[in-house]
Amino acid sequence: MERRVVITACAAITPIGNTRAEICRHLLNGISGVKPLRDDGLLSQYIQSGVFGTVDYPIAYDFKRQYSKTMGPVAYYACQVAKEVLDQAGLDPAFIGSGRLGVAFGSTHGSPTVQREIYKTFFGGSQTKFSSIGAVDYLKSMVHTTAVNITKMFGITGRVISSSTACTTSSQSIGFGYEAVKYGMQDAMICGGADEYDTTTVAVFDNLLACSTRFNATPHLTPRPFDVQRDGLVVGEGAGAVLLEEYEFARKRGAVILGEIIGFACNNNGGDLVLPNIDGITQTLKLALGEAKIHSDDVDLISAHATATKMGDVIEAQAIARVYGDKPSVTGLKSYMGHTMGSCGAIETILSLYMMAEGWIAPTLNLNEIDKRCAMIRHATELREADIRIAAIQNFAFGGVNTCLLLKRTDV
Amino acid sequence: MIREEIQARILEIFRESFEIENPGLDDDLRDIHGFDSIDGIELLREIEIMLDSELTREEKEIAMEVRTINHILDYIQLMASQRSKG
Repeated sequence: MERRVVITACAAITPIGNTRAEICRHLLNGISGVKPLRDDGLLSQYIQSGVFGTVDYPIAYDFKRQYSKTMGPVAYYACQVAKEVLDQAGLDPAFIGSGRLGVAFGSTHGSPTVQREIYKTFFGGSQTKFSSIGAVDYLKSMVHTTAVNITKMFGITGRVISSSTACTTSSQSIGFGYEAVKYGMQDAMICGGADEYDTTTVAVFDNLLACSTRFNATPHLTPRPFDVQRDGLVVGEGAGAVLLEEYEFARKRGAVILGEIIGFACNNNGGDLVLPNIDGITQTLKLALGEAKIHSDDVDLISAHATATKMGDVIEAQAIARVYGDKPSVTGLKSYMGHTMGSCGAIETILSLYMMAEGWIAPTLNLNEIDKRCAMIRHATELREADIRIAAIQNFAFGGVNTCLLLKRTDV
Repeated sequence: MIREEIQARILEIFRESFEIENPGLDDDLRDIHGFDSIDGIELLREIEIMLDSELTREEKEIAMEVRTINHILDYIQLMASQRSKG
C-alpha cells in the first residue's frame, strides 16, 4: 500500500520570527536573526565564536502545570509549535486520541539546560544533604523529551519516533513520518524538531574550528554560505512542526493542503563521521528523485544545507551540480538564522512551503562573492519571483547522515 | 512540630511548587488536583527537608499510598514521632 502524503499545517519558532508574516518579512528584506552569543556563566567565555541564531522575542506559552512540569526549554518549543499545528489543522479530538495519529519529533540532545542543573547537583557543592536529581529532571532532559511531551499534552496514542541525529533530526522526523503515513501505519503524523539555546553545541563546533569567529562584532554578516569570506557555521535555536496527513483523509475532512511530500531519502556516508562526502550526498539526492519518480529537471528550488563551513559548502555545491546541473535555484536559509540544529530540516521545509505559496525565492544572505569552487550551480543571490512547483530540502549531519525531502505544490 | 504548623507548610509547598491553591484537607489529590506520582516524589524531598532527615526506601514507598492532605499530615507526624523515639 502506497498512499499520498500531504502537509496540512505548519508552525515554527525561529531566530527570524514565529509567524509566517514575520518570517517572510525577514526573508523579503534580508534581515538576519543572528545576534551576539549570550553569556551563560559557564562556557561562553571560552568560546571563540561570539554569535548565535537567537530567539529573543517573548513567546506566550499557555501550558498548565500538569504538562509543563515535565518540560525543559526544548520541550516548551516543541509543544508550542505542535499546539499551533493542531490549532491550525482542526482535527477531530476523537481522531487525535485514536491511535491513528503519531508523533515524529526530536532534538539534538534533549535539554542541555536541565542536564547542566543535574551536573550541578553532583559537582556544584550543594548546600543541602537532601539535594538530588529532581523527579522530573530526566523527563525534561531525555533525548525523546520533545516527542513524549507532545503526546502527553494532546493525548496522542499513536506511533512515536524520536530521531536524534543532530542536523538531520527533524528532516528524518518528517521523512519517517511520511513513510509511516505512506505505508498505512498511521493516517497522520506531527513531525518536526526543536533545539534550545545551548553553548555546548557552540563549543563542540568551535573546538572543531567549524564555527564562525570573524564576524563577532557584526553578527548579521554571518553565516555566509557559499561566499568566499565564509568562516564557519553559526549555531542557533528554534523549532518547527508540520502535520502530515494521508491525502484522501485530508481531502475528505476539507483540510487546507499546503504541499505534498513526494519523496524522501536517507542514507549514510559509511565512513568518516565529520567530513562531508560527495558520493554519499550525491547518492542521497538521487535516491530522493528516484523515490519521487521525477527527473532532476522537475525541481525548481533547492534549500541547501549550506552551513557556511569551508568544505561542506563546496561538497554540497558539487553534489548539486552532479545531480541537477545549474537549472534549479539554490538558496541557503541558514544565512538568515544560523544553524538551528535539530530543528533546521523542519524550519527549512516550512520556509520552502512559504516561498512556494508566495511565489518568490529568498536569496542566500551575505552571499556577496561566490566561492569559485561553489560557482557551478544557480545561486539565488537576489530576491526574485519564482514559480516553484517542486522543492528539495537537503540536510546533512555529523555521523555521515544525509537526508533529502521533496515537496510538491498541490495545485500543479 | 505541631499539626497546624505542618499543615501551613504543606499548603505553602502545594501553592508554590505544585500550583495547587488551598486544597481541601480530604480532597483526593490525584483525582481533583492532578497530583501524580512525580509530584509525590518531589513532595518527599520537601518532607525530608522539613524533618531534617532522609527517608528510607520503605518509608518512601509507604508515602506513595497517601491520597489527601490529611494523609500527608498523618504521614509526616508518624515519621517525626519515629525519629524522636529513635
